[in-house]
Amino acid sequence: MSGQTLIRVEDLVFEYPDGTRALDGVTLGIGENEFIALIGQNGSGKTTLSKCLNGILRPTRGSVRIEDLDTRERGVTKRIVTKVGYVFQNPDHQLFNNTVHKEIAYGPRNIGLDHDEVEARVREAARVCGVREELFGEHPFFLTKGLRQRVSIASILAMRPRVIIVDEPTTGQDRRQSVEVMNFLRDLWERSGHTVAIITHEMPIVAEYARRCVVLGQGRVLLDASTREVFSRPDVLARTFVKPPQITRLAQALEDRGIRRDVLSVEELLEEFQRNRSQ
Amino acid sequence: MNAVTIRGLGWKYSGRDSFAIEGVDLDIAQNAFVSVVGPNEHGKTTLVSCIKGIIPHSFHGVWRGTVEVLGQDVRELSAQRLAELVGFVFADPEAQFTSMTVEEELAFGLENIGLSLAEIDRRLAWVSELTGIGGLWDKSPYEISGGQKQRVAIASVLAMKPRILILDEPTSMLDPLGKDAIFSILADVKREADVTVVVVEHNVEQVAPLSDLMVLIHGGRVARAGPPEEFFQDCDWLVQHGIQPPQATTFLDRLRREGLFTGRLSPRFEEDVAALRQLLGPPQGGGGAA
Repeated sequence: MSGQTLIRVEDLVFEYPDGTRALDGVTLGIGENEFIALIGQNGSGKTTLSKCLNGILRPTRGSVRIEDLDTRERGVTKRIVTKVGYVFQNPDHQLFNNTVHKEIAYGPRNIGLDHDEVEARVREAARVCGVREELFGEHPFFLTKGLRQRVSIASILAMRPRVIIVDEPTTGQDRRQSVEVMNFLRDLWERSGHTVAIITHEMPIVAEYARRCVVLGQGRVLLDASTREVFSRPDVLARTFVKPPQITRLAQALEDRGIRRDVLSVEELLEEFQRNRSQ
Repeated sequence: MNAVTIRGLGWKYSGRDSFAIEGVDLDIAQNAFVSVVGPNEHGKTTLVSCIKGIIPHSFHGVWRGTVEVLGQDVRELSAQRLAELVGFVFADPEAQFTSMTVEEELAFGLENIGLSLAEIDRRLAWVSELTGIGGLWDKSPYEISGGQKQRVAIASVLAMKPRILILDEPTSMLDPLGKDAIFSILADVKREADVTVVVVEHNVEQVAPLSDLMVLIHGGRVARAGPPEEFFQDCDWLVQHGIQPPQATTFLDRLRREGLFTGRLSPRFEEDVAALRQLLGPPQGGGGAA
């Protein structure tokens, strides 16, 4: 974790009303300007955890503190949304206004900002997300999926949260679309200083973009370490049905030939291969 | 005779300015396993819809060229005959469900074509075994998991014993375990069922090892087609055309272009591992890198 802690989760237990325990004693901290991936099989608690991180869900036991706010307290929601944003997996579950402008302006208006401030926020968020002002009058429904996703991210960024959580940003997208949204999230992290957390099943994406990985299984944290370290532990990952990226598995299958087991990309394995052969 | 023969195929949807696909020539041998890959909105679904005959039978537009299914022109085949010859599985399995229980869902099509009860039982037993849905017969197809839904959808189409089975992004809505189950079923279908499989899929890493033929559709045209060993040559070109080759294959392709590897490019992980182990020589004493 780098810099100041923005979110502190202590011994978090969350049970749904039917008694299902989705989180079973999670402790972790999220700092300033991190790029984190939450991984684990379906039902491991990823989405529940991320909804606890921005107060959509309140802890059954334990606590989630966002800077000076405790998500268990009543009436904090409007302050939380200015600190932690959550982008739904399917933009269509999030977008409900009849123009792009109203959609992005909704949050800032809802927390009572004045007209000029709302306008400034809308323009800023749209610019950062590559949503052109010509589109402000369009109905979000008629935009491409990639643009709808950008509008939904813009509507979150308009609240100027320091942390943005994106649920499955690349699901159902082709390669070019995936690269586009991931590079955009990397810019938010690198240039704008946001902390970005993604929930994903796509391990090559995790290897390329995330610096830290939190591995969840049955509501517990199985591993919380650098991406490189996490992918060098396939034994632990298998407990939550996650496999390292194919290039990492290839390196691991060649470990007895002297190849490093924590390779994350084709380029790294090429270097490792050449180093090995020159010995 | 080919399962599918396509010559000079073009299709423009009514109201659009340009052709969704154009100048497509393709030969698909009987019982081949074919993967259709490429970026979204570049014509993959349009192409398979022409093989199923959904285009031109259910859409308005401009058609060019010919599509033959088992030697018969799809434009001359009746909807019923096409339904018998070509099965179609959608990305969203709920799109095809009509019944209250899985068993009824599976039996619906079979009763419709007038099969005997004994034959229906035989087919249900066969597809349940193949797709691992035996325990779900009494359940509502709407209440089971996404992966189970897709297995039921595949089972109900396979039960009709189509000569050609088309699947349009069958794993795009599933988690990794659900995806693995579908690819394992497709491997069994390839091995055991007497059927030509055409699958539209983004997950090249998992679908390529099963494929006899890979087809890249880009800009409405066949940009590259061939068996996997040829298809994956020059992986950078494939990446520029919007697909992600398996990382192990990409690695071997890079080695090959740097003159370090002269073997063939397999999309099968185990074969790539074996080739590299041979290249690197015997295990090193002590096991660790310096």
